[in-house]
Amino acid sequence: MMRKIWSLIKTDFNTTFGLSSIGYSIKNKKNRWQLILFGIAMLTLIPSYVFMVGSLSSMYDIYAQIGQKSMFLLSGFLSAQILVFIFGLLYVMSKYYFSNDLAQLVPLPIKPSYIIGSKFATLMISEYLTSLPIILPFIIIYGSKNGEGPLYWIYSLFLILFLPVAPLVLASIVVMFFMKYTNIGARKDLIRTISAVFFIILMIYVQMKIQTLAQKSIVQGSDFLVSLIKDSNLLVKRLGVSFPPAQWAALTLANNLSISGATNLIIFIGVAIISFLLMIFLSEYLFFDGLIGNIEVSATKGRGKKIDTSELSRETKPYLALAKKELIMLFKTPIYLINAIGGVIMFPIILVMTNSMGGDESLSAIIEVMGVESGYITLGCIGFVTALGMINCVGCTTFSREGKCFWIQRTLPIRVEDQIIGRVLSSLGVQGLGIIALLVSSIFIVKLDIVSIVLIIILGLLGSIPMTQIGMIIDILRPMLDWDNPQKAMKQNLNVLISLGAGTLYLGGLVLLVINIIDKFYISFIYGLLALIFILSALVLFKVLKILISKQFQLLE
Amino acid sequence: MLKLRNISKTYGRAQVKAVDNVNLDIRPGEIFGFLGPNGAGKTTTIKMIVGLLKPDEGVITIDGVNVWEEPLKAKSMISYVPDNPEIYDRLKGIEYLNFIADMYGVSKDDRRKKLDYYLELFNIKDAVGDIIASYSHGMKQKLVLTSALLNDPKLFILDEPMVGLDPKSAFNLKEIMRKMCDEGRIVFFSTHVLEVAERLCDRIAIINKGKIIAMGTMEELRSHAEERESLEKIFLELTE
Ligand SMILES: Nc1ncnc2c1ncn2[C@@H]1O[C@H](COP(=O)(O)OP(=O)(O)OP(=O)(O)O)[C@@H](O)[C@H]1O
Ligand SMILES: [Mg+2]
Repeated sequence: MMRKIWSLIKTDFNTTFGLSSIGYSIKNKKNRWQLILFGIAMLTLIPSYVFMVGSLSSMYDIYAQIGQKSMFLLSGFLSAQILVFIFGLLYVMSKYYFSNDLAQLVPLPIKPSYIIGSKFATLMISEYLTSLPIILPFIIIYGSKNGEGPLYWIYSLFLILFLPVAPLVLASIVVMFFMKYTNIGARKDLIRTISAVFFIILMIYVQMKIQTLAQKSIVQGSDFLVSLIKDSNLLVKRLGVSFPPAQWAALTLANNLSISGATNLIIFIGVAIISFLLMIFLSEYLFFDGLIGNIEVSATKGRGKKIDTSELSRETKPYLALAKKELIMLFKTPIYLINAIGGVIMFPIILVMTNSMGGDESLSAIIEVMGVESGYITLGCIGFVTALGMINCVGCTTFSREGKCFWIQRTLPIRVEDQIIGRVLSSLGVQGLGIIALLVSSIFIVKLDIVSIVLIIILGLLGSIPMTQIGMIIDILRPMLDWDNPQKAMKQNLNVLISLGAGTLYLGGLVLLVINIIDKFYISFIYGLLALIFILSALVLFKVLKILISKQFQLLE
Repeated sequence: MLKLRNISKTYGRAQVKAVDNVNLDIRPGEIFGFLGPNGAGKTTTIKMIVGLLKPDEGVITIDGVNVWEEPLKAKSMISYVPDNPEIYDRLKGIEYLNFIADMYGVSKDDRRKKLDYYLELFNIKDAVGDIIASYSHGMKQKLVLTSALLNDPKLFILDEPMVGLDPKSAFNLKEIMRKMCDEGRIVFFSTHVLEVAERLCDRIAIINKGKIIAMGTMEELRSHAEERESLEKIFLELTE
């Protein structure tokens, strides 16, 4: 039995991370120049990361001043675990229910819990990639600034090791229930996607509600300041309620020298293990019910309406046809739909939600002070739409998403220009939805006049072009084509992360520029300047892309 | 005219060449069969012709157009059907066909005429309104065949086209191949079905371990081998 499990895990690791093929591609000399370029692209991540770590360090100082250093740790564990949970939902959905190896695994004489167990183990590795970059700076900053001893670091090791377990178990259970009870009817893909988007929004809403309530309850007590001084873990105890494991982790490290540290660690690990066992137990009852019938797609087999070839066979310009194909694929593949389209719709809604529930720093307060006319709001929205141009992941996964179908693109006589324009257009199509979501949800915080709306649409779309192109450049350098599960092309793709870094750099530069000149020039000049910069960079990137695509389309194997 | 001159290819750091100094001259109006045991280098050769794999050495031209120097011009003359076609399975059949036709720039009338004809012939007219993920293996293959026939290719190149087709469709495909070469096009295909090659092909090449070991009409091949009755015997003897 152990051998079965072990063999499942090994095979899954190998296929997920392509261990056999990594070795192969390292040996291949021809790929070396791409690897170098790719390495350079990766370096662009460093400034963003350094900046992040820098601001974390000052965050520590603030908490230290009010004597609530442990709150710093809680923030770290909370953000790491929440992110693991959110990514977990997507990973679990695609890995448990939509990966191609299921067709081979299900007929084998193995229990569902074995399949889930082995898949869970591989997901853990992916989740470490999410959690480590977040939690490590927190632990290291706290540990070194506080001069912690060896016990702190040993405890940290255990915490890091078990950190993804609880949120991933939670995600697994949620998804398994979700899949079981949405396994209905022909339109289940659509039903599932829509309910998933709603679920995530709802979840974030609830999280924030708990946070604000907790904050309010702390401040309202008249003896707040007294208790703040008395108990250095007060904030953690109050605010940690939204996800107790993060609270236990923070308390473990904050009290590592006392017995309470050890008990909290034991609770943290114990709960992780017990919840894992519970999930395995549940999987026996839930997994197959959600899975069976998943591979079915609704087909009319000619019993539906007759297809009239004359009506459906219109001529379309190649770039439009390509954009159309990309959009259909984005909309009809659940994983892409949730990631790309769900993303651009969800982010604006979340943004507005955060502000309408508001603490002191809420945007609405700032807006009132500055007034709408100042153009700050419009500029902010433009920046937000431009950022969505990278967050939507359409550009940076456009070639990876072709996957095993990439041969079609490479054997058809498609001009490189059409490749670029078509793919950029598909990203702009998704952006259109994002802009609508932003404009509609912004009604709740500000009144935008028609000029601002037009500016947001035009400049936002213009700004999305270079963002998409940056992603495309990174993706064509090293497209991830060998996947069995669409999630791998989307979120488990290193290209996405690197593009986010490069995009942040581009946008960050522009933001700095605008901040520096905003008092010195008329606002309309700034709009003009932005438009000029967007257009110029789009043209330059277009040239670069043209060269890279022609080259890579020939060289890839 | 399809010309391969001294084509060689080695995968990665492999010790041996997958394709080793291959020369081919195929004239318009010819059906050319490409035979060889598993792993002989058939797919590799075909991929180099259609632009999927860059040869390490050698030149490939179609009507004087270098496939790797003027890819766009060359590709608009080629239609390719791979051995195991993976296509966009979230698209409807008709959407896929239209996409391919748009890429080749096929005119509306032409498109309609061809679609009506081939969809009827392959008996998939009723299925093209469904998404491709719902197709059987053979239906998918027939869709790819249809898409490859939408433009008027000078070179029709197929990798093991008969696998998975039902007898009627296989028969239809053979008829189409005949008709295409009557129109002066080149049909180039690899196969393991020796009877098909024997009956259909004007000329045959046998490749083994990356090298062409025999090429010519059936008659010429017979003169190479000692056992002369069937292509099967010749094949077995030569690839020994
Ligand atoms: N992607 C690849 N990477 C490395 N080696 C490969 C790759 N594809 C094929 N080969 C090797 O190249 C050689 C030729 O393979 P090819 O696919 O051309 O054979 P084939 O004649 O098409 O065989 P079959 O009849 O099985 O389709 C084989 O030795 C194979 O191992
Ligand atoms: Mg082959």
